[in-house]
Amino acid sequence: MGESPDLISDLPQSILENILTRLSLRDAIRTSVLSTKWRYKWSTLTDLMFDEKCVAPSTDRAVVETNLVRFITGVLLLHQGPIHKFHLSTSFLQCRPDIDQWLLFLSRNGIKELVLELGEGEFRVPSCLFSCLKLTRLELCHCEFDPPKSFNGFSSLKSLNLHQILVSPEAIESLISGCPLLEFLSLSYFDSLVLSISAPNLMYLYLDGEFKDIFLENTPKLVAISVSMYMHEDVADFEQSSDYNLVKFLGGVPLLEKLVGYIYFTKYLSIGDDPGRLPITYIHLKTIELYQVSFEDANEVLVLLRLVTHSPNLKELKVSASPIQLFPLEEESFDLFERDYLDYKLPRLETVRMTDVSGIRNELEFIRFLMGTSPVLEAVVVTSSLSDKDARMEMVVELLRFPRVSPRAQLLFLQD
Amino acid sequence: MSEADMAIIKPEMMMKSYIWLETADGSIQQVEQEVAMYCPMICHEVLQKGLGAGSSKNCAISLPQRVNPAMLSLILDYCRFHQVPGRSNKERKVHDEKFIRMDTKRLCELASAADSLQLKPLVDLSSRALARIIEGKTPEEIREIFHLPDDLTEEEKLEPLKNLMDDPRIRLLNRLYAKKRKELKEREKLKGKEVEERVDERSVDDLLSFINGKDHKVVKTSKSKKKNKKRKEHKNKVSHNLHSKQQGTQSVVDETASSLGGVSNLPSIEDDIFSLKTDSEDGYMDDGMDPALREMLDREVEDFARRLNSSWVLSSGQERQPVHFSINGNGATRRLTAIDD
Repeated sequence: MGESPDLISDLPQSILENILTRLSLRDAIRTSVLSTKWRYKWSTLTDLMFDEKCVAPSTDRAVVETNLVRFITGVLLLHQGPIHKFHLSTSFLQCRPDIDQWLLFLSRNGIKELVLELGEGEFRVPSCLFSCLKLTRLELCHCEFDPPKSFNGFSSLKSLNLHQILVSPEAIESLISGCPLLEFLSLSYFDSLVLSISAPNLMYLYLDGEFKDIFLENTPKLVAISVSMYMHEDVADFEQSSDYNLVKFLGGVPLLEKLVGYIYFTKYLSIGDDPGRLPITYIHLKTIELYQVSFEDANEVLVLLRLVTHSPNLKELKVSASPIQLFPLEEESFDLFERDYLDYKLPRLETVRMTDVSGIRNELEFIRFLMGTSPVLEAVVVTSSLSDKDARMEMVVELLRFPRVSPRAQLLFLQD
Repeated sequence: MSEADMAIIKPEMMMKSYIWLETADGSIQQVEQEVAMYCPMICHEVLQKGLGAGSSKNCAISLPQRVNPAMLSLILDYCRFHQVPGRSNKERKVHDEKFIRMDTKRLCELASAADSLQLKPLVDLSSRALARIIEGKTPEEIREIFHLPDDLTEEEKLEPLKNLMDDPRIRLLNRLYAKKRKELKEREKLKGKEVEERVDERSVDDLLSFINGKDHKVVKTSKSKKKNKKRKEHKNKVSHNLHSKQQGTQSVVDETASSLGGVSNLPSIEDDIFSLKTDSEDGYMDDGMDPALREMLDREVEDFARRLNSSWVLSSGQERQPVHFSINGNGATRRLTAIDD
């Protein structure tokens, strides 16, 4: 019967929702037991994030699954007002008709951000999803995606993330071109994808999987690209295209600031008929990270060199040599370093990190080239993959000989 | 520039400009301009009303009601730190963590005051702190901290709203409880007197402790709870709940009303309500719980039923025959014993 006044219930709803959104959904809903005023305060929250932590844990999967379904259905039924964010991330759910019903409910309540990360399986996204035209962010994982013919894209979509989705390439292409405001695109876990991307507002591109052929047809605003390209079994396909992939992929991205490539990305770029010149200069490119570059392959080294020399503002360079030897080539002597790039300067390059260096000619020449052309170079960090101490010593001695244009340049050797 | 010019300019550059602010209680103070302008609301006022606003005591900018002098001083301290441009993010974070350490009452006032001054970073900071206070606590603890009235009726606490939490227990206890309520109501009708509510309160606490996921072995019986005495509408709520929960057994309810004295009728009611044939809600059986969980649940329910019975007998002082429920492993119920007088 204390006379202490209620401290919190009369704060403006905006503050209370601010507090409730910071609690787990379970804790937020529990506030409904506190007092009459608090009974429905949680029910107007616009962001709902569900995972298996919403229900009591159990050793029996089926129990968790049933409880989670019951919980989500219950929350949606008790909820009032629009729902802007719906996140469901759990491996406990896969194909259930309940998910279809929830999506139908969401499509009628103004959903803007939908994240659906289900367990492995073949959940087929229901057609009501394609009528959620207010969507600004869509993330699907382990689903089957099959838009109806009348679907024209999400006109407000800014972020699209598809991971291990069963979908036809044409559907992806038309989806991307049907989302004119798209800024972030992530496609991962695909098999032999052939894709032509046309997205005039796209700024961030993340690709991870087996891609046969990617053409960045219209992506003038791209700022950051990260690609992990895996090898398709049919190697011959890689050799077939006649267009130079470097141009096909990176020919139309003048605003690029960061480029990251893994596995076979550099090899992919090196394929095709080399026109001899790169038609574009990357004025804004500050960071290049290319991993698993095969220095024995002259074409790959050429790609690397071209990118580096066409980036006058390059600040940071990370390169890892390739331990993956798919094509053990004869080491070609590479005069390119002396021939075309004699007087070249990399005016802003500050840090260089080379890993998995095994001391082959091209690797060393590349480092010599960098040290001879970078007036503000501060550190060259080299990590070697050689186990033989003598071979390592030889390499170090060789590297120490190279003339340095930058007075501050340090050569650092790290053990692997 | 000549040195003479420099001498003239210097003092002017050293002079700070101040803004006058008035809180709802009438007290006026002056604050450095750059500090006050860090608050969007003050900034807007100045810009809207022209540069004269707040420049003297007479035309002080009046602040919203939710900003009392103590809060204003806190907020200005916050602004004074953050409006300095050179600070690193880490510095700001460290400052904020120290700044936000205060008692809950002031934290709520601060959130409210910051909100009325439209200072969003401070609103977020205090909301985060309040959320940290709330998370993981039981409803009782939260009510205690924020002085919330415990004014929900037991039914409201038991309603399906909370079935989102720890399901089968609650559902079953709901049913048991509703049954008890109904019997209570019938008793009242017959005997014409109010039943002590304290009986129910204790059991509800137990229920709540299940909901809160506490150790199930520890069943709290907190007698020192401040609960409101129940109102007359309580009875109506009971019947409404019964309606919704037991549509399929409406006829059974009527039966009970007419033949309360006789024990013989009760078995059929219990069985109807608790049997697997019930179409209201999913059967206890179908929950597919593992045996250990079910056993624990059985034990709790028996405990609960026993307590309901015993305390009811004690408080009403009647020699009403206690009815024993027993839930065996496969969900069917049977009456344990007949009764002594």
